[in-house]
Amino acid sequence: MAGIWIFAEKTEQALELLQAGQLLLAAGMGGELIAVTWPGGPRPEDLGAAGAAEVLLLPPLADHQPLESYGPSILEEARKVQPNLLLFSSTARGKDLASRIAEGLNAGLCSGCNALHWNSESGTLEMERLLYGGAAVQRIAPFTFPVLATVPPGTFRRGTGNPDREATIRHLPAPPVSPVSVLEHKPKERKGQDVMAAKIVVCAGRGFEKPEDLAFARNLADTLGGALACTRPLSEEMHWLPEDLCIGLSGIQVKPDLYIGIGVSGQVQHLTGIRGAKIVCAINRDEQAPIFAAADLGIVGDLYAVLPRLLQALNETAAP
Amino acid sequence: MPVLVACFKWVVDEAYIRRTSAGELDLSSVSYKISDYDRNALEEAARMKEASGGSVLAVTVGVPESTKGVKDALSRGADQAFFIADPSFGMLGASETAAILAEVIRTRIGNFDLVLCGEGSSDLYNQQVGIRLAERLGIPCLSFVQKLELEEGRVVAERRLEDGIERVSAPLPAVVTVLPDINIPRIPGVKDTLSASRKPVVTIGKDDLAVAPDAHFRTISLAASRLDRQCERFGADETDIRRFIGALRQKGVLR
Repeated sequence: MAGIWIFAEKTEQALELLQAGQLLLAAGMGGELIAVTWPGGPRPEDLGAAGAAEVLLLPPLADHQPLESYGPSILEEARKVQPNLLLFSSTARGKDLASRIAEGLNAGLCSGCNALHWNSESGTLEMERLLYGGAAVQRIAPFTFPVLATVPPGTFRRGTGNPDREATIRHLPAPPVSPVSVLEHKPKERKGQDVMAAKIVVCAGRGFEKPEDLAFARNLADTLGGALACTRPLSEEMHWLPEDLCIGLSGIQVKPDLYIGIGVSGQVQHLTGIRGAKIVCAINRDEQAPIFAAADLGIVGDLYAVLPRLLQALNETAAP
Repeated sequence: MPVLVACFKWVVDEAYIRRTSAGELDLSSVSYKISDYDRNALEEAARMKEASGGSVLAVTVGVPESTKGVKDALSRGADQAFFIADPSFGMLGASETAAILAEVIRTRIGNFDLVLCGEGSSDLYNQQVGIRLAERLGIPCLSFVQKLELEEGRVVAERRLEDGIERVSAPLPAVVTVLPDINIPRIPGVKDTLSASRKPVVTIGKDDLAVAPDAHFRTISLAASRLDRQCERFGADETDIRRFIGALRQKGVLR
């Protein structure tokens, strides 16, 4: 049995995948847990402590080569070893690499996998994902192994590592030179609170009439110590807020304790991005808006009337 | 003059999907559309042609009923369409779709410069077809692109990644998968719709294909997703807003 491979850009994502892999092995899937990494990726000692028995270490990339250039090296090794399952964290690069490797292995790839279950009686790996923008849940099983999955960051809990555990390190050969070259990398500017990590998320939707009115939403986020996010039209069509604040199936998926959607209609793709929120609140003047069916608490009213009252009441009743 | 291939899919409009009281998917009142991000791919191809000449070929794999989508694509600036149709092509997996597209692009189009795909389809959202297609064709792929330019024999693109923007370049021919913010797709006018019906469509059946790819997965179950929320309503007056805040504090999500 050839076990489970994991690949992630960030250490915390790798730890999640290792934990998911450990649960599958404990359920009887068989084999070992193997992590693939590279200089600049998650560190082998962290991967070992989190349960990887072996680390496959890629050599440094040549200058101006994108991370996806590693595809052929990983594919070659996977062809030889034939792991049962390859888990990738579903960042853009992770999704790209997983698709290339799946095609090379002539294997299935479960994209956006949000649950994994090893059925030891039937020897079936059951995988779950969303369809139709999140309106449907599909459970699938691969006909053959290897099989791949991309897992959205934050899907699984990270395990508690054991710093005494060490992985054996095996070096993989360098990939051939990719015809794709990186001309420039512009790192993301970090502004404000990280929405993905925020306990409270205030989300502005189409109900706002002018960009300067977003100050109301920002004000509420600041008052609550939360982060501001938006729906797709605000970032994509109006460009009022950056794309990386856009919540939805094709944007970011958040899991705050409290989500407050203001002037958000509640399209299914957006609702998919807030499935993990503990409490969902909505403020919308249209009582027929779909968001109310997906909210725990809803205020039916014009946001321009509700927000000043809400802010005032919050300030008056704030805990000293 | 560049030959631009834009791939698209005719899909269920998820906004019309309902959930029956038994928790089953209700597709009885759905309508169909060109998958959202594929409209961006078609639009980008049409803009490139309008800027620098060449031609746009639209390609789709689907059930015979997708013929409406073919006309829609032609009204969005494509010059010609390749329609690969079979009743069994309704729920193809990403690898099957990519294999069929690759064969048709290779054998029926042959000389092309750039293939444009949406980053994922709005029904299955596998986000694999463009990348698998490039692997099949043995050409470079630039995925998750928000800005695109053709230069002499090369494509230069901005990819949006989690840690920032990556500007990349690849020799042609190549495949790109585009993000929704690359452009705002046009809404075809009456003239566009009329001229679309005069444009050539090459229809290709299952028997015309050499590949017969197998599915990688079987479906165990497919159900409407549940959102178990309390759906408590409040008014907009001050009393209700105070009650609302009280409810949040009680739930422990607000200090």
